[in-house]
Amino acid sequence: MLSRLLRKFTGQKASKDTAKKRLQFSLIYDKLEVNDTTLTDLQKDIVAVISKYFEIDKDSLELKVKRDDEVSALVFNTPILHVKRKSA
Amino acid sequence: MEGKVIVITSGKGGVGKTTATSSIGAALALEGKRVAIVDMDIGLRNLDVVMGLENRIVFNIVDVVQGKCKISQAAIRDRRIPNLFLIPASQSDNKDVLTTSSVERVANQLRKEFDYVIMDSPAGIEKGFENSIVGANEALVICTPDVSAVRDADRVIGILYSRSLTPKLIVNRIEPARVERGEMLSHEDVLEVLSIELAGLVPLDERVLISSNTGTPLVLQNDSKAGQAFKRIARRLNGEADLPIEVPNHRSSMWRKISKTFGFKK
Repeated sequence: MLSRLLRKFTGQKASKDTAKKRLQFSLIYDKLEVNDTTLTDLQKDIVAVISKYFEIDKDSLELKVKRDDEVSALVFNTPILHVKRKSA
Repeated sequence: MEGKVIVITSGKGGVGKTTATSSIGAALALEGKRVAIVDMDIGLRNLDVVMGLENRIVFNIVDVVQGKCKISQAAIRDRRIPNLFLIPASQSDNKDVLTTSSVERVANQLRKEFDYVIMDSPAGIEKGFENSIVGANEALVICTPDVSAVRDADRVIGILYSRSLTPKLIVNRIEPARVERGEMLSHEDVLEVLSIELAGLVPLDERVLISSNTGTPLVLQNDSKAGQAFKRIARRLNGEADLPIEVPNHRSSMWRKISKTFGFKK
């Protein structure tokens, strides 16, 4: 109780609050971690689907998980060589 | 009626799994249930020595799973607490000798012979952990109020959910004075981070080490705060779901009443 009052007056933060914040962040990040096999499998599947519609440069494509403070995004980047026309 | 298989696990080592397992098992036996405690930490057995039964080991859980002996031959009866049995781990094998399917088969067999089967899981999330959760109906996750134990608990909780188990949490080694000073995560903090249902709160207690020194059950000591906390956890598991969870407190109840009256406590 006394230490709580003291903290209030000095504006000092309790170390357990820091612990809690750090935990909350690390748990979110832990869950966003994707292992390499998952990424490789995903890339194969995406390439297969896109290849149905576009001719793409398979050597210069890139798939990654981009993280920032607020959000986490899956970024797939590929040059399109040309669009496949469906033969009617 | 078939019994229940309860796994006690933590991810991180050294947070009190073995103490919790032996105490909750003993407390359930004191409630009049037939209890088997199974040490699943193959190669690093410890429950036998914590429970004071190390001199009476003949067979172990690996022998049972491999069909080398009957359950009744491997289960060591505790002479102080009726209906309490320990099936020790093997000390010489490594964790890979058991397959999940064979452990599941034995768990189902044990369920027929006991009211409660408590599985003490090894630390980690590898094969030994998988083996200890495979036959479980219920799961208890234990952690201490520090960042590494809570993070590991979160990982384990995630895995348990993926196996259709809904674990409950025991927060162990709470130091109320340090919680009060803001030096230690409170159980509310831990629960908020993990979003999980609480099974019980256990204070740090010097008696735990002393009781493991001598191999005597903590729950038989009425002056052990941790022992009493584990007893209440066992009673809640055993159907008394409404038994309130006591929050460890370092002040005398007199001072608590006074400070509550004057609104010092939040």
